[in-house]
Amino acid sequence: MTVAAGIGYALLALGPSLSLFTAVISHKPFLILTLLSSTLAWLMTLIALSAVWRAFLPFKTAAWWPYALLILTSVAFQEALRLFLWRLYKRMEEILDAFADRVSKPRLFITDKMQIALAGGMGHGVAHAIFFCISLLTPAFGPATYYVEKCSQIPFFLVSAIIALAFATIHTFSMVIAFNGYSEGKRVDQYFAPVVHLAAGMLTLMNLASGGCMIGIPLLYGITILTLAHCGKMVWTTLTQNRSRVGNVLY
Amino acid sequence: MEENPRPRTILETCGEEIIRIVTPVSICMLSVVILVSILNGGSSSSGDLPISSMATIAYTENSSDSIWDKLKGALLNSLVFVAVVTAVTFLLVLLFYLGCTKFLKYYMGFSAFLVLGFMGGEISLLLIQSFSFPVDCITFAIVLFNFTVVGVLAVFMSKMALFVTQAYLVVIGVLVAYWFTLLPEWTTWVLLVAMALYDLAAVLLPGGPLRLLVELAMSREEDIPALVYEARPVINDSGPSGGAVQRRVWREGRGRPVMNENEGLSSNTRTVLASGENERDYVNAEEGRVNELAVPLIQHVNIRMNSTEDNVPSEDLVLEGIGLGSSGAIKLGLGDFIFYSVLVGRAAMYDYMTVYACYLAIIAGLGITLMLLAFYRKALPALPVSILLEQYSEDHLFTEASSDHK
Repeated sequence: MTVAAGIGYALLALGPSLSLFTAVISHKPFLILTLLSSTLAWLMTLIALSAVWRAFLPFKTAAWWPYALLILTSVAFQEALRLFLWRLYKRMEEILDAFADRVSKPRLFITDKMQIALAGGMGHGVAHAIFFCISLLTPAFGPATYYVEKCSQIPFFLVSAIIALAFATIHTFSMVIAFNGYSEGKRVDQYFAPVVHLAAGMLTLMNLASGGCMIGIPLLYGITILTLAHCGKMVWTTLTQNRSRVGNVLY
Repeated sequence: MEENPRPRTILETCGEEIIRIVTPVSICMLSVVILVSILNGGSSSSGDLPISSMATIAYTENSSDSIWDKLKGALLNSLVFVAVVTAVTFLLVLLFYLGCTKFLKYYMGFSAFLVLGFMGGEISLLLIQSFSFPVDCITFAIVLFNFTVVGVLAVFMSKMALFVTQAYLVVIGVLVAYWFTLLPEWTTWVLLVAMALYDLAAVLLPGGPLRLLVELAMSREEDIPALVYEARPVINDSGPSGGAVQRRVWREGRGRPVMNENEGLSSNTRTVLASGENERDYVNAEEGRVNELAVPLIQHVNIRMNSTEDNVPSEDLVLEGIGLGSSGAIKLGLGDFIFYSVLVGRAAMYDYMTVYACYLAIIAGLGITLMLLAFYRKALPALPVSILLEQYSEDHLFTEASSDHK
């Protein structure tokens, strides 16, 4: 596709992440570092997964279950990494709190912790978007574009960008939900991220059928909106609880 | 319930110094990637550009040679290059020992002039050709001349705004890094590894030239002549307990307690191109003029006093007692900029995913090195960690040929 179209697709997939970055993350250097390390970690995971699965691809059969297996293993591996990142984050929180005590500054507020989780999630979203969408765009510059017969209404790259946007949003905010769930011990929040990730992944299998993307992508966005709403509600309740807690202490 | 304005938490300031180094490195890498994409778009990665330089003096690569020949040739090239760099660094140490700092300083200005004027001019010409940009010779000459002179003043004189100096240093880094990406493929990779090893040796071994240089400079409390990027120092507002947060990075000749921050900065920017006579040997076959390729490389070799030397405790007390308030800003040698950008620029010739992975690996390596810096408080080589991480990530990317969809 042309350079203008390519930039358009890239902005479609990564535009909201860029705005979020400029508004929230770029002001705090620590969040930028968190974003960079998170992107690196998730990119390593994706590379490792693709290295393992490379041996079996492309699949010889036209059945859908090998793809389901692929998605299942990938999601499982990534969710394991999310747990590992939570452990790392706990340790870092202790270090940061000790550091804050040493320089007699206040310890991390709850909003700070949520911002760190947001930066980590955005790293995941950006890694996914770049790995699955941008990597397709960059070798494809030229005068023509490409359509897939199973989803022939819009160009292939546009479909990729739309799906990447949905996944980036899901990943960004489910990290906030997951970290909050781990820290407060709420089961619903803890299981929310893996379940939603798996559901979204399996939904994309619908694109294998002819015309399937017409149903699959709106459903995917339904899941995205669900993630956003749940995250918003969770943050709201946490903050109001916190404020009332602080209020009780003061008064 | 009225909330007081929230006190600033550590989240707002933690990691600021690292970001102040990571940002210009990222800008430099991005510019080189863009330049490579625009100018080398057509030809593939195995460009047989007949560029004759110090780095190809032993063997000129041909795409038709066998792998073993290429490897041998690349090794030979790198050996020659590292030998020349070592010799010139020792020459620099000698000159510094004999006190010819002024000569070195003027030489640096001259080299900056050559890099900005000739290399910058050549790359601008390539860009003008590529975009068919309508501009006449006289305007171009005047603009280029002005640009070059301001650059030389920024790097050479002390009273320029810090931002202008930083911008010009990044531009010099971009120009030299782009030039290096024109080297043959195998030579580039082997050269990078060789320079990383040399880096380790020169800084950490007791007889290494860099270590000698650092010790000489410290014992005399003088500035080391070099092209060094200095980040804006972080001003702590944490009052008298600021000492815990400050990282004493490079205590450039601030022996006298009355030196204020301005002077401190000026002594930094009064840096000299530590290249020595190396450039004269290196001649561009086509135009018969001197090129500075080797120069900034020597830079990075010199500036691994990127971090502090072993601190003399009394100096520390004097400075802390004065409460200068600013932690010594982190300085990164221009050679590091150039090497990271060459790495990423080379990767850009293959595929952009490689660029992305390399970029992240390099930034991770840089971050780790900076943290080790804070931990060990010694001069550290900045290349090895990044190169290790980058090689690992590149290997993995090359093994999976096509990205598969989940």
